[in-house]
Amino acid sequence: PCELAVLSHDFHCVCNYFFLYDGSKVRGEADPTRDGICYFYPEETPLDKQELLCGQLAGVGRCVSELSSSPARTFRLRRNKFAIRMKDDFFWALGCSVDVPTVSVSEFLDQLIDLFCFYNGPVRQSYQLNSQETLAAQWARYLSHLQSGSSELSHIFSCLKTIDSTNVDPLLLLKAALILQACQRCPLVLAGCILFRGRVVSTQMSPGLTMKVMIHESETYTKAQRPNGTSASSSFSGTVSSTTVFLTAPELQDLQSAPVDKGFRCCPTTPQRDGPSKKTRLSRTLSDTPSPESQVSNPSLSKPPQKASLSPRLSDSDVFSPASSHSAANSLNPSPQSLRFLSNGENTVEDEAEESRSRDSTGGRSQIRSEGDGSVFEEDSHLNGGEVEGAFGGVFEFQAVESGNEQPHDDKVVEEDSRVSRGSVSGHKAGKSDPPALLPPPHRLSDASEENALIPMTLYMHRVKGLVLALLVEPHFMSDAASMEEVYHSSLASLNGLEAHLRTISPGAPGGPGPYTFAHFDCIQSTLTTNLSGRSGGAWDQPFVRATSLLHSHFCNTETLQEAIIRSACTAVYGTRSVAQETYFQQNGGSLRNSGIPNHQDSAFSLPSKARHRLLKHGVNLL
Amino acid sequence: MKCLLIASESAEMLFYWTDLEFQQNIQKQYGASQEEGHEFPAFEDSISTLFAPIIISFSTMVTEADSYTSFTTENNHIYVLHQFDECLYIAVNGDGEEKEEDLRRKIYVMNKMIEVLFGMVTLSGNLLRKELRARDTEQRLRLWKHLQSLLETYSHLRENDQSFLVEAVERLIHPTLCEQCIEFLERRLVQQINSSVERGGEEVLHAFILVHTKLLAFYSSRNASILSTSDLLALIIMAQNMYPSNVDVDDPSPEDIDSTSGSGHESFYTPEPSPTDKDSSSSEKPVRGSTPVFEFVDPDIQMAEDSLSTLEVYPPDPATPHKVFLEVSQKDGLYPMMPHSMYCLKLWPGITLVLLTKFPHSGVAMSVYTFWEAFAKLEKRLNEGQGGSTRGQPMHEVRSKLDKFLKTLALNGIQSSQLQNVWTEFKNRAFSRGGPGFSRDLILWCKNMKTQLCGIYRQCFLSDSGPDDTPRHLSPGLRERAQTMVQEQLMDWKDFLLVKSKRNITMVSYLEDFPGLVHFICVDRSSGQMIAPSLSITERTTSELGKGPVAQYIKNKMWSLVSTTRHYLQKGYSTLTLRDGDFYFCYFLWFENETGFKLEAKDIPIMPDDSAPIGMLAQNYYRKLLRYYSKNHPGETVKCYELLTVHLGVIPTEIILQHCRQLASKLWEPSRNPLL
Repeated sequence: PCELAVLSHDFHCVCNYFFLYDGSKVRGEADPTRDGICYFYPEETPLDKQELLCGQLAGVGRCVSELSSSPARTFRLRRNKFAIRMKDDFFWALGCSVDVPTVSVSEFLDQLIDLFCFYNGPVRQSYQLNSQETLAAQWARYLSHLQSGSSELSHIFSCLKTIDSTNVDPLLLLKAALILQACQRCPLVLAGCILFRGRVVSTQMSPGLTMKVMIHESETYTKAQRPNGTSASSSFSGTVSSTTVFLTAPELQDLQSAPVDKGFRCCPTTPQRDGPSKKTRLSRTLSDTPSPESQVSNPSLSKPPQKASLSPRLSDSDVFSPASSHSAANSLNPSPQSLRFLSNGENTVEDEAEESRSRDSTGGRSQIRSEGDGSVFEEDSHLNGGEVEGAFGGVFEFQAVESGNEQPHDDKVVEEDSRVSRGSVSGHKAGKSDPPALLPPPHRLSDASEENALIPMTLYMHRVKGLVLALLVEPHFMSDAASMEEVYHSSLASLNGLEAHLRTISPGAPGGPGPYTFAHFDCIQSTLTTNLSGRSGGAWDQPFVRATSLLHSHFCNTETLQEAIIRSACTAVYGTRSVAQETYFQQNGGSLRNSGIPNHQDSAFSLPSKARHRLLKHGVNLL
Repeated sequence: MKCLLIASESAEMLFYWTDLEFQQNIQKQYGASQEEGHEFPAFEDSISTLFAPIIISFSTMVTEADSYTSFTTENNHIYVLHQFDECLYIAVNGDGEEKEEDLRRKIYVMNKMIEVLFGMVTLSGNLLRKELRARDTEQRLRLWKHLQSLLETYSHLRENDQSFLVEAVERLIHPTLCEQCIEFLERRLVQQINSSVERGGEEVLHAFILVHTKLLAFYSSRNASILSTSDLLALIIMAQNMYPSNVDVDDPSPEDIDSTSGSGHESFYTPEPSPTDKDSSSSEKPVRGSTPVFEFVDPDIQMAEDSLSTLEVYPPDPATPHKVFLEVSQKDGLYPMMPHSMYCLKLWPGITLVLLTKFPHSGVAMSVYTFWEAFAKLEKRLNEGQGGSTRGQPMHEVRSKLDKFLKTLALNGIQSSQLQNVWTEFKNRAFSRGGPGFSRDLILWCKNMKTQLCGIYRQCFLSDSGPDDTPRHLSPGLRERAQTMVQEQLMDWKDFLLVKSKRNITMVSYLEDFPGLVHFICVDRSSGQMIAPSLSITERTTSELGKGPVAQYIKNKMWSLVSTTRHYLQKGYSTLTLRDGDFYFCYFLWFENETGFKLEAKDIPIMPDDSAPIGMLAQNYYRKLLRYYSKNHPGETVKCYELLTVHLGVIPTEIILQHCRQLASKLWEPSRNPLL
């Protein structure tokens, strides 16, 4: 039985030390080192020791970076391995046991800093605005989140925790995807993800961004203290909350361009960027969507009808992928709000006024483009006529979507693309002549350099028991009652239904030590599939994890390396990788008695073919 | 962008070496304008200022029981740090040519060379500091220059010579000639020298002939202990440093070689001694041709080398013996760093006769080491808090022996009053009834005793005034006769040998049996010997690996494969296959008993990343591995072998493995290979 990253391994404290040191506070000879310590983990470390580590490491960091004219990256000591980041006057160090691969430690620290910036904005600024204690609590949160409840393997790969897809009816996954797509019809919604009990059900965001969003979910799930800047809307009975988050320019760019790329891979992207605006679509959504959605979410319905009803939704989703591009288009002509830096996430009256103005303008544009919209609509209804066949097609196509392969749709997409783009082009002519600038204009960046730029957005969360709908929305979404209500009500029923289904799914039984152990890492989606169950604590687990960690580092450092077999006296592990994945395989049990002399009958050398056959049933294709 | 430096705990520079790029980088940071004639000290100052914070921080962290082992930066500069006793070594690379492992190895090799040159003096930080940083500037510069040149020679060999890549000795494969030579060394050369009155009390223990870096013949006299692979490799580096191999110049008949060896451009580049050096002492580098053999010379390099040695440095005449300190294994134990004299006699360019002789007073060294060890052990016990009177028992034995030893020293005119004083103080504390006995207070006195013993050692074997006035070297006439004898013996072979050393074995002879095989290296770790087809083939007709980029590519792959296999071996993996680009690499390590029976694999110890480098030159890993493995095979001689192969990736894996199997059994068959 395969478990998808269901690993409740013993808690592995990977992080021995973490600190943030602000060199700007310790300039003079007389300045005590402690003044520069912004945060130190473990917090109970005696101050002397804190000062020693911070002072020494930061001092050597400065010295090394002067000698090499480049910031220090890693420091290895006999007992600890530190990933180092130096930026402005800040010095971060994350110390792990020396057994953890260096790449993984570095990645860990990057994630940690990214998380902090995601929720707090630029570091210098947040230390100016907030007390050290408040921010210390933040670092502690992120640190414990990154370390908690994951296995050694997930530390090696820094993967996303996803729900066990082998136990879940694929239709539920499809449904989750559809909920997200429906939400995206609101022009203020950038992208979203659905999480269930700390695991990803469906996401439209990059793995990195999803990971960042998840920490907030787990926070609210564990009923922890409301984080800084969170506000709950009373009108939605406490199930909806929001918080300001900060996206990097590339992240935002990615969000804005990703749906366009997915839906219109074969078309030039520029015309669509200025594609038809959403206003009309939004109204259409409001009037049209409820019926199929409630059908889907009705758990009492038997399966076949469900499938049938899914089919139009599916084609709908496909056809409506332009819609997501519209949201992108929207933020491509950013209203001033979307470019505000370092805001506290609260929209002022002026903001709202300005925002409504900008909405008016988008509305105006959309009307001009209604022609293009209409054509898409027709296409949609045409597809809806897929009837019974569509039911099966839907299921099939869902799988394709799931694996990121939308090939089956391509011809349809092309067909409507042409229309949409025609519409967009005309729209572009008629509409504003704003350049599709993805990055904020330079003068906005005042003191921050371009790569430092963090754009405030809002993270909207709608919780239904263990299920959470998390959406990245434009900051003024929270003050736009109409949009909010629309998103809330259009998804509420579906979320309830989805939650009810997911709740009934029992976690797959933990498999005992099988005849083999494998781990399959999807580099694109950052997901890990493995049958390694920490619970059984099998004798084969440790050697496997060790070998995997070594091979993973080797793969990371050697681009041309395709596959490897390594063997010690007791174990042999086969590793293979492509651009999209890394797979590790170990045959358990059976004695490997051998002399180590080259021998083609040696069982170690049959691992590649065994892996190829055995892993097929786990959906891992190594052919 | 390379640098290696040694610093004392107080951040005093004991030695440094940098390449031109690193030097320029430092100078840029300090402003290049230096006063004329003062560049050398100024550069030393700036480099020590720049590194001081790291060195001081290292000491601080050591007291916290954790110390730095390496740093990396975002532009991929690597710093490796390692402390031997009280000396901190730092190696830096900023050009991507060396990995962390290479830098660590360089540090260990540098330490090994210093041990070979200074023996037991390296065991006392204070004494070693005085040796490395002599007060006399000229003396210091001469020593640093010598060490720098040794380091460059080593780096060059490691980058170009397969035997230094895997750290095992390569022999010239010519059984008959090899046998003749050994017989000649034994029956005529060594016998004659050892029976001559001109030998100055020395006795030849080992004699060997090198053709470039390859061993033609090796003879050890009956009462000599085995010369360890580590020491032999270090001696080859020293010999190469004295008489660098350079194909272009050393070629006996350029036309002759040219017809068979293609362009001379593929020849390896050996760092030349600086031009100033050469001009200053014509006797120092024997016949090298008047034109410098820089292949990549540009004026900058020469200028930089000049600036490094603004002060004239006269290296000693190469014909005078070198004191080298080598491991001696006796029935009663292992004595590291025992004094020997090394005579490097150049027969022809590229062919060298090396004689290793025993000092007349080498017994003193053994005694000193025995006492030193006793105090080191006592110190360790006291540190662990297990003093106690019973533990002092072995010291009573030491007491009487040391008293006797002191008398002998006095008889031989060796200054030992300081040792005598410290020893008296020690005895008062340890053995007197009212004294503190074997308590922790004694630790300091153990240290003092150790330092004093090292001082005696230094006085006997490193200072110019020896224990007595008898001539301590083979006379020049005797050396000359030895040289002539071997020259006469090898006269007819010399051209053959020089060519043979360039293509000891060739891939061509394996292609028919092993289609798809690109290259291999086979190492016998028990004897410390290796064989591999020559990679440096310049012959036009055999385009084994082709020329230029392809050959270079294979070479680079081979070098990186060796480093990869070591990494996995360090983590306990003794078999490795890799599909990398268009090639398929295999590595196997296995054990056999003397009859060739394959012994079952056993888990190999897993070691941390910063442990000593795997190899035989410094910190012999394989010796430890063999010892570890032999525990389960008492009474049996265990042998350890390694095989590395490179195949074309299109060859099916089964065939590749069959090849490996055949190679493994074929290469060490006595009939095919005279090595065993």
